[in-house]
Amino acid sequence: MAKAVGIDLGTTNSAVAVMEGGKPAVIINSEGSRVTPSVVAFTKAGERLVGQIAKRQAALNPENTIYSAKRFIGRRYSEVQMEIKNVPYKVVAGANDAVRFSIMGKDYSPEEISALVLRKLTEDAAKYLGEKVTDAVITVPAYFNDAQRQATKDAGKIAGLNVLRIINEPTAASLAYGLDKKTNETILVFDLGGGTFDVSILDVGDGVFEVRSTSGDTHLGGDDFDKRIVDWMAEEFQRDQGIDLRKDRQALQRLTEGAEKAKIELSSALETPISLPFVTADASGPKHLEMKLTRAKFDQLTADLVDRCINPVKQALADAKITESDVDEVILVGGATRTPAVQALVRRLTGGKEPNQSVNPDEVVAVGAAIQAGVLAGEVKGVVLLDVTPLSLGLETLGGVMTKLIERNTTIPARKSETFSTAEDNQTAVDVHVLQGERELARDNRTLGNFRLEGIRPGPRGSPQVEVSFDIDANGILTVTAKDKDTGKEQKITISGSTQLSKEDVDRMVADAQGHAEEDKRRRAEVEVRNTADSTAYQVERQMRDLGDRVPQNEKARAEQSISSIRQLVKENSSDVEKLRQLTSDLQQIAHALSSAAYSQAAASNARTAGAKSAPAGGADDVIDAEFKQTK
Amino acid sequence: MSWDPQRTGALLCMETTQNDEIEQLKEQVRQEHEMYLRALADFDNYRRRVERERTSTASSGRREIILPLLELLDSFELALQHTRDAPSSLSEGLQAIYRRLLNLLEQQGVAPIRSIGEAFNPRVHEAIDSSPSNQYEPGTVMEEVQRGYRWGDELLRPARERVAA
Repeated sequence: MAKAVGIDLGTTNSAVAVMEGGKPAVIINSEGSRVTPSVVAFTKAGERLVGQIAKRQAALNPENTIYSAKRFIGRRYSEVQMEIKNVPYKVVAGANDAVRFSIMGKDYSPEEISALVLRKLTEDAAKYLGEKVTDAVITVPAYFNDAQRQATKDAGKIAGLNVLRIINEPTAASLAYGLDKKTNETILVFDLGGGTFDVSILDVGDGVFEVRSTSGDTHLGGDDFDKRIVDWMAEEFQRDQGIDLRKDRQALQRLTEGAEKAKIELSSALETPISLPFVTADASGPKHLEMKLTRAKFDQLTADLVDRCINPVKQALADAKITESDVDEVILVGGATRTPAVQALVRRLTGGKEPNQSVNPDEVVAVGAAIQAGVLAGEVKGVVLLDVTPLSLGLETLGGVMTKLIERNTTIPARKSETFSTAEDNQTAVDVHVLQGERELARDNRTLGNFRLEGIRPGPRGSPQVEVSFDIDANGILTVTAKDKDTGKEQKITISGSTQLSKEDVDRMVADAQGHAEEDKRRRAEVEVRNTADSTAYQVERQMRDLGDRVPQNEKARAEQSISSIRQLVKENSSDVEKLRQLTSDLQQIAHALSSAAYSQAAASNARTAGAKSAPAGGADDVIDAEFKQTK
Repeated sequence: MSWDPQRTGALLCMETTQNDEIEQLKEQVRQEHEMYLRALADFDNYRRRVERERTSTASSGRREIILPLLELLDSFELALQHTRDAPSSLSEGLQAIYRRLLNLLEQQGVAPIRSIGEAFNPRVHEAIDSSPSNQYEPGTVMEEVQRGYRWGDELLRPARERVAA
């Protein structure tokens, strides 16, 4: 089944996402990265490179390395004179004033270049998903005109894609936050990417988005912030040491990396150390760069950049004829919106509203495009929204503990079964006590229902096999079935509404379990010690009965003594864990002694018969064989 | 029993509504089956990828440790360039530490990328700039600004370099 993907075709970087099992997932490209540089290069050897690889050779081959093709797509040559000044490659006028990139004597349209980026993205997506990718939703800035949209669509076609729809980037971001379900709200999308800044104001109602206004700055982005740090570091160093690091390629490389790292650190920390040992040297010896950048200093260095965001926001509000108080939702897009000063500014400009930023701002547009692609390909509609069980489901077992069969937060429908047995000899019925909750002991949890399975053939405890299945369907209806594997007798109960607890109830129950975790663990451990003691007592008793008078009298007396002490303590529900453990371990030793005594007797008698058959046979293997036959 | 046209009509009518219902149900079953197959396929692909990713998750965890270590290695190499003036016993000791560090990375499968004198290859090299050279052929690496490393078949970081024009 071919997949439909969502593509954020960006000016500097692109990303692609897909719906999987009803959830959006960002695709990792063949270089292991979640974003792909929107760069295409034509090498002298005749190779076409796309993405990170193209970027790596850009310095070597600037005239044949196309980046920012998005600034040219769908535009007239006469419109892009300013842009041409910023790029090292050759832009020429084609027929009808069209923009063409002239590369090694051949002309390429911006659509063709974007198509190469799109093709790489879809090929990587196909590789990642292990299936063909044919359909896509591609995003464009809200301010793109018809020609730019058509050209983007054509780029998709050239890349061999069936373009399901071209949607606006701010619309995609809104979809990623599920804002299409809102009625009559106004959304402000603040998108500060690597090199461009866009503000859009949208209205949403009945699942339809309408762009009210757009504004921005086509040459403002996160890269400018990095450069400010680099300049500051270099200037400080020059003042102290008299050397301009920007003139040294190696030092500049390290400065740039250090600056980016510091910027990221300052999104969470209030200050960060920058350390570049042996950054350069002069006649007096090696020099080290050691400095500290505080967030306050960083804010000061970038204050004018942040201020450049103010007017576009005000402009967009004015164009939409609304005030900051009319904005219902704010969405942050683009990596640079992680900068605390930018976030503070957005809050200030939108009347203190808390912006939506839970979806990675570098990926939110691709995620929204994937959601739209899923809707258009019929996947999202088709996928049943899967629910989860809010609390664990299980039953009461020996000693009053809860044994969980279905853990909380399991996606439903789900089915789980386990085999249980009887706790007493000749027990002919079992009670199934269905529980819901997180506590260790049955009595602390909520009872969902009770039933009894009768007609079990009498036998020693632990021998009957009762299979209990929990089956919870997509509507949260739980069916618990108990089946005696021996007779095939079956009994069941159906409980509806096991998932229909209020959120408060669920939260309270979970919190309760956490609050009592320690105590519950101790109490459960006590029960387990009592259960082990009881079952050991039972086994030893049986063992002695089977061995009959082969048990030495003194051993038998010691064992009986321990068994009766254990029985007493278990009956009292004693919490004297130490004593129970001691008694159990004593009894296990006695049991061990008894069984080895029995083995040596059996082995002795067996070796005789085996020896008659074949000489080398004998020892433990034969003993086990004999025993196996016995139980048969 | 006499023939009653009206009753036959009613029966026919019932039959058509029944046929409609059957068609509707058939369509519904088809849709449900489609959805089921879709979910099954999604899950199957997901499972396969999780399998694949399990190995890569482990490796990306190690990557996070190795990459910053490489930065330390860079600084160490820069420091060693300045040990020529230092007493030889000190520089020998530092060289020994450096070799141990290299060995340790080598044991982890980390290998430096050859660059100087090699033809520029953007799959493992990153060009910082280029300039004419009478020692090297155009398109070959003439100076390494930062060493690159690979880890098995995987690129840890490209070698950053100056290339002969």
